[in-house]
Amino acid sequence: MSAIVRTEGLVKRYGTTVAVAGVNLSVEAGEIFGIVGPNGAGKSTTLKILATLLQPTSGIAEIGGWSVTRNPDQVRRVLGFMPDVFGVYDDMKVWEYLDFFGRCYGLSAAARRRTIGDLLELVDLADKRDDYVQTLSRGMEQRLCLAHALVHDPQVLLLDEPASGLDPRARVELRELLRELRSLGKTILISSHILPELEELCTSVAIVDRGQVLAQGKVSDIERQLRFGAVLRVRVLAEGEALQAARDRLAADRDVATAEILGDGTIELGFRGDDAASARLLAEVVRDGLPIVTFARAASDLEELFLQVTAPDRAPMDAA
Amino acid sequence: MDPMDDPTTGQPHNVADVAEAVEVTSAVPVLPVLPVLPVLPVLPTPATGPTEHPRTRPHPVAALRHVLGGIAAISVKELRGRMRGRRAFVVLTLYLVLLGGFAWMVELAMEASFNNGFGQSAAFASASIGQGIFAALIMLETLQVVFLAPAATAGAISLEREKQTLGLLVTTPISSAAIVMGKLLSALTYVFLLIAASIPLTAIVFVFGGVGPEDVVRAYIVLLVTALGLGAFGLCCSSLVKRTQAATAISIFGVLAITVGSIFVLIFWVVLARDDNGNGHGPIKGRPPEVIAYVNPFLAQVDVLCGTESFGGTWCGILSTLVSGGTTANSSTGSNTGGAIAPPPVAVPVPAPGVVVPDKGVGTQGLAPDGSAIAVQADVSAFGVVRDAFWPRSMVTWLILTVVFLLISIQFVSPTRRWHLPRRRTQSPGPEAV
Repeated sequence: MSAIVRTEGLVKRYGTTVAVAGVNLSVEAGEIFGIVGPNGAGKSTTLKILATLLQPTSGIAEIGGWSVTRNPDQVRRVLGFMPDVFGVYDDMKVWEYLDFFGRCYGLSAAARRRTIGDLLELVDLADKRDDYVQTLSRGMEQRLCLAHALVHDPQVLLLDEPASGLDPRARVELRELLRELRSLGKTILISSHILPELEELCTSVAIVDRGQVLAQGKVSDIERQLRFGAVLRVRVLAEGEALQAARDRLAADRDVATAEILGDGTIELGFRGDDAASARLLAEVVRDGLPIVTFARAASDLEELFLQVTAPDRAPMDAA
Repeated sequence: MDPMDDPTTGQPHNVADVAEAVEVTSAVPVLPVLPVLPVLPVLPTPATGPTEHPRTRPHPVAALRHVLGGIAAISVKELRGRMRGRRAFVVLTLYLVLLGGFAWMVELAMEASFNNGFGQSAAFASASIGQGIFAALIMLETLQVVFLAPAATAGAISLEREKQTLGLLVTTPISSAAIVMGKLLSALTYVFLLIAASIPLTAIVFVFGGVGPEDVVRAYIVLLVTALGLGAFGLCCSSLVKRTQAATAISIFGVLAITVGSIFVLIFWVVLARDDNGNGHGPIKGRPPEVIAYVNPFLAQVDVLCGTESFGGTWCGILSTLVSGGTTANSSTGSNTGGAIAPPPVAVPVPAPGVVVPDKGVGTQGLAPDGSAIAVQADVSAFGVVRDAFWPRSMVTWLILTVVFLLISIQFVSPTRRWHLPRRRTQSPGPEAV
């Protein structure tokens, strides 16, 4: 298992402004890899370097083993890129748009005809085939752009803020689409500052701020490393003293750091353990007869995580 | 992710290595937050194996096919947009109607001038009218090409930038050269179509006579090369400047500079050179540098029109005044640079590409009034126009300029430019404490 996308000490400087300050990423084939960070963190710059649109000031960036600076042509053939802002040509029909990019990748006429049909089915634009591109809605444009990035059946997809400007339905559709692509064996790099969508989607994430990777790995791993545990929300069917007793029982567990009653029978636990530990805890407290209604990890973990990691006062990059 | 992070990487050989290792770890900002993932076992970057690709050079034939495929892709896309709907054909029709109307007006006007009782022979009137219509049409078409060609290409690259479609385009394997050439050809296709559509109309001059087919061919060569050169110029502006409006303004300004501007400079030079009994002012003396005249497509057409005339005609006169520094300087300086105007025995005519017409009398020799015929004959040595000397040089100049413009455009379209300005390098000195 070698990394299909790899950067090492990637630096991009614009004059005195440092947009990317030594980013090390390593993405395995078949992953959906999220790059999360606030605006201006260097996400787009990193993706643009990987997409051969920008020359890095220094450092290594490779896709599929090809260097983006030395072999940009090979990189472009294994890569599909969807920028954060993009336009569409006027005076073009949907199928012509894809046909044009098919020609750019040197596909034969037969291959183009087949691919265009398949892709329009995939992104659910088959009935818009003969519509003009400029009449499409934002969500459709986004899907068309994704289709254009897939024309040459690339191994790696770079998606820069693909969900920005989409309504919730379009967002859900996009997520489904990305899952489908992953099942087709694509490696997907996706950047976003909208966290919940990444959390559900990504197998790994890198949290980026001010041009540096602050954390990288599986979502659950990062959580544990950063937080010494997760937040569990337990709702019990009890009130008053019975609720207090339930809290005390939970707080007595060896993996529970804090236990706090939120009201409505809900107790929030700061939990050190992993999934196995939480399963054990649940089994124990059920055996002890606690009337548990729900027992779950708190939602939006990544969002909290993100705020915690990128807090302004944290500033680990001042080490320089 | 730095392998040096791992204490098990290996024993440093000496103190210097240790120091270096320490420095590396501190220089690379490896997140102090966490050692990423339960430390990947040493394996110093698994990618070192397959990554050592040399900078590949594809086979020339494959590369050519690749570029041609790209040009085709861009052209098909552009032409689909440009030729869609009725607009292109409405414009073409209007253009031909206007051109035809103009030719008719010239014909009527010239006919009227022959009917005004000066008793000129009707035998020469037809040829004269033919030449007049030819001159009028060719000048009008040149005017149209000179403004249409750069206007058609001035948005080619900058529109892609403005609409943010260039990023999508340059991440495909299509080469920058293919983008530039495809854009140029597709933009010029319409201009070429207009030019081609005017050929039957121009052929009307053969009804009147006075103009040979080879004159028409020359005029159209000049038109095509001018369209190519100025189209490349517009494209170059488009690739250099971010906004289409600015690119259009610059290219129109450039067109004015090479047309009106060059004529102005030539007149200015000629007038000043004549001053002080022909001693001129400082460096301005004698004939103006011919290069200034080469960039003016109208002067090239003037030379073509001069070829249709009998000796001492209007067009030849314009050319000889502007290019040779006027009649007074002509006889003395005519031979020193071997320009367009030179004594016939010395100069060797530059053959036109494809059209070789050594010398021809167009049947208008006797057009001049009888009284001055001898004087004209006497002037032949001084005024003797070497055929096909000026306009081919002008066209060669434009072809060279086309190549230069295209090379510049390619550089500026490429997202990662290969030519770097020297001053940029100074900003990235090697070692740095990030």
